[in-house]
Amino acid sequence: MGPLITFYALALLAIVSAAITAFSRNIVHSAFALFGALAGVAGIYVLLGADFLFIIQIFIYIGGILVVTIFAVMLTQGIADVNVSNRAVGVLPALVTAGVAGGVMFYAIIHSSWYHARPGSATPTTYWIGDAFLGPYVLPFEVASLVLLAALIGAIVISRQEVRE
Amino acid sequence: MYADYGVPLALVIIGLLFMAAMMGLQKLLAPTNPFRRKLMPYECGEPPTGSAWINFNVRFYLIALVFVIFEVEVAFIYPVATVYLDWIRRGQRWFALSELLIFLFILFVGLVYVWVKRDLEWIKRIPDQDSVN
Amino acid sequence: MTPLNLTTIDFSWLAILPLIALSVGAIVVMLAGTRVDDEDSAALGFIVLVALLAAFLLTMFELGQNTAAFRGSLAVDDYAVFFEVIIIIATALTVAMSLEYAADAGLAGAEYYALVAFAALGMLLMAAAGDLIIIFLGLETMSIAVYALAGFIRRDAKSNEAAIKYFLLGAFSTGFLLYGIALLYGATGSVRLTAIHASIAARTAVNPLLLLGLGMLLIGFGFKVAAVPFHMWTPDAYEGAPTPITAFMAVAVKLAAFAGFLRIFFTSLDPLATEWSPVLWALAVLSMTAGNVIALVQSNIKRMLAYSAIAHAGYALVGMAAANGREAGGAVLYYLLAYAFTSLGAFGVVVALDRGAESHAQIDDYRGLARDHPGLAAAMAVCLLSLTGVPPLAGFVAKFYVFAAALNAGFTGLVIIAVLNSVVSAYYYVGVIVAMYMREGGVAVESMSRRPGLLISIAVGVAGVIALGIYPQPYMGAAVNAFASALGRPALHAVSMLP
Repeated sequence: MGPLITFYALALLAIVSAAITAFSRNIVHSAFALFGALAGVAGIYVLLGADFLFIIQIFIYIGGILVVTIFAVMLTQGIADVNVSNRAVGVLPALVTAGVAGGVMFYAIIHSSWYHARPGSATPTTYWIGDAFLGPYVLPFEVASLVLLAALIGAIVISRQEVRE
Repeated sequence: MYADYGVPLALVIIGLLFMAAMMGLQKLLAPTNPFRRKLMPYECGEPPTGSAWINFNVRFYLIALVFVIFEVEVAFIYPVATVYLDWIRRGQRWFALSELLIFLFILFVGLVYVWVKRDLEWIKRIPDQDSVN
Repeated sequence: MTPLNLTTIDFSWLAILPLIALSVGAIVVMLAGTRVDDEDSAALGFIVLVALLAAFLLTMFELGQNTAAFRGSLAVDDYAVFFEVIIIIATALTVAMSLEYAADAGLAGAEYYALVAFAALGMLLMAAAGDLIIIFLGLETMSIAVYALAGFIRRDAKSNEAAIKYFLLGAFSTGFLLYGIALLYGATGSVRLTAIHASIAARTAVNPLLLLGLGMLLIGFGFKVAAVPFHMWTPDAYEGAPTPITAFMAVAVKLAAFAGFLRIFFTSLDPLATEWSPVLWALAVLSMTAGNVIALVQSNIKRMLAYSAIAHAGYALVGMAAANGREAGGAVLYYLLAYAFTSLGAFGVVVALDRGAESHAQIDDYRGLARDHPGLAAAMAVCLLSLTGVPPLAGFVAKFYVFAAALNAGFTGLVIIAVLNSVVSAYYYVGVIVAMYMREGGVAVESMSRRPGLLISIAVGVAGVIALGIYPQPYMGAAVNAFASALGRPALHAVSMLP
C-alpha cells in the first residue's frame, strides 16, 4: 500500500509539473517547473528498484541539465519582457498528434505482454552496472567517452564567443 | 528494499512539513506592516537596480555545458569505482586500470584542449588578424 | 560470477583497430591543434587523412572474416567492410575538399578536422554495429559532430540556421530512435540484433509493444536518411552548411544511417517484414515524388541537390521495400555505392564554385561554365547525368538493379512510380547542364591547379561514376556478398548463444 501511494504521489508531481512546463505562459516558470517533473521521475526509479538511475536522474538531470536549461532560458532575448514567451501555436494539430500518439502508446501498453519483476525484490544495481562496464559492455563504455569528447568540442564550437583584441 | 529509502523519504517529508509550519506560524503570529523599502529585495544593502530577469552572459551557458559533460563522465566512472577493488582481487587489475585510464584520458584531452584554447576564460581573446606581426 | 577475462568478453583487436586508428587521429589533431594556428591547419587535415588511410588498411584485414566480436556487439563481416570503405573514402574526400576551402571560408581549425574524424568514427560504429547500443552510440557520435560542423561558419546566419534546424530536428529524431530501442528491448529482452531476431521469430502473435518500437525506429531512421515526411530539415541544413560538410552530410551521413537502417531491419526485424514493407513503400513513393517535384523549382544548386538527395533516399527505399533476397539487398547496397560517388563528384564541383565568403551557389552562376572551365563542366555533367540515370553511368546501372529487384519481388506499381520520377528528375538535372553549355555569363572560378585536394576529390568521384557504370559486375558482386554476409552471420548466431 505504501509504495502504491508513493507512486501516485510521485506520478502526480511529475504530471502536474510537466503540465506547467508545457502550458505556462512564462518560459522561466516552465523551466523551473521542469524540476518537479524530473524529481517525480527520479522517485519512480526508486520504486522500480533502479537505484543507480535514481541518483543519475538527480545528479545529471536536476543538477546539470536543468541548470543548463535555466541558463539557456535566461539567455533568450525577450527574457526582460515577462509574459511574451511560450505562446502556444497550432493547438489543434498538437492536440491531434498528442492524442494519436498517446492513444497508440496506451493501446500498446494495455495489450502487450510484459516481463514482470517481483515487486520489492530488486537489489542495488550500481555494482552490476560497474561490472558490466568493465566486462561485456567495455566497448560502449569506452565509446561513451568519445561521444562526450565530441559533444565537448561541438558545444565549444557552437557557443564560444570571441572578442578580437 | 524500500525500507532503505524510508529514512531519506522521511527526511524530505519532515523538511517540507517543517518549512510549511514555519511559514504558517509566521503568517499567523507576525505583525504585518509592509512598506516599500521593506519589500525590496536585499542586495548587500544597496537599492537594487532593474529586474533580476536579465539576459545572462553566454559564458555561463558554455561553462555549464562543459560542467554537464564532466558530470556525465563521473556518472560513468562511479559504478566502475564500486567494483574496482573486486576486479583487483580477481587478478584483473591491469585490464580494469587500463580501461579506466583510457576512458579518463580521452576526456582529459578535451579538458586540455578547452583549457589551452582559453575557452574556459571569461572572455576569449584571439589576436586580431591585422595586428599579427 | 565468473572471473571475466579477455576471452569471455570476446575481445578482438581486429574489430576495433580501425576505430582506434580514427580515435587516435582525432585526439592527435586536437593535441596538435593546441600548438598550430588556425590559419595553417591544413596540416591537421593531413593527420586525419593518415588516420583514415590507417583505418582503411586495417579494415581490409576484416574482409572475409564474417565473425563477431565483443559478444555480438560488433560485427566483423563484409557488410561492415563494404560500408566502412565507402564511408572512409567519402570522409577522405571531404577532408581533401576542405583543405583549401576551409582556409578560404575562415573555418579552419583543429575543431573542424577533429569533428570530421569523430563523425567518421561514429559512422564506422554504425556500419559494424551488432547491437542497438552500439548503433545508438555511433549515431550520437556522428550526429553531434555533424551538428557542430553544419553551424561552423558562426558569422553566417544561414549556417546558424542550418545548425539549429539540423540539431533540433536531429535531437528530436534521436529521441524517437532511442524510444524505439527501449521498446524493442522491453519487448524482446535483449539489445543484440541476433537475440532480437530469435525472440521475434519464436513468437507467434505480434506484440503491440514491438510494433510501436518498430514505428519509432522507422521515424528515427526516416529523419536520418532524410525520407519524406521526415525531410523538413534537409534543404536548409544542406544550404547553410559549409559546402564540403554538405557533401559529407549528403553522402557519408546518409550511408551510415542506411547501414544501421538496413542491418536492423534485415537481420533482426525481418520476421516483421510484412508490417514494415508497406510503410517503406509509402515512404519511398513520398520521398521520390516530393523530392523530385520540389527540386524542379529550386534556384540554388545546394537546395536542388538536397531535394535530389531526398529523392535518391526514396529510390534506395524502393529497393528496401522490395528486398526479400540477397540480390535485392545487394542492389540497395550497390545503389548507395553509386549514389555516394556521384554525389561526391557533384558536390566537388559545387565546392569549386563556392568561395566561402561569396558563395556562387545559384544555378545561374553555372551559366557558361563549359567555356571557361570545360573540365569542371564535364565533371558536373557526368555526375548529373548519373543522378538522372543515363547509361552507361553508375546511376543507370544502380537504378536498373534496384528496379529489377523490385519487379522480381512483384512491386510493379512502385517501379512505375520510380521510373516516372526518374523522367521528372531529368528536367532539373539537364537544366543545369543546359545552363553550363548553352548559356552565356556566369562567374569567375579560381584555377583548379591551385586546389589539388579538390581536384582529386572531383576526379575520384567522376572516375567512380564511370567505373561503376561501365564495369559494374565486380562491385555488384561485392555488394551482394556484403549483404549476404550480414544475413548469413554464422558466427553471430554462435556467439549469441553465450550466456
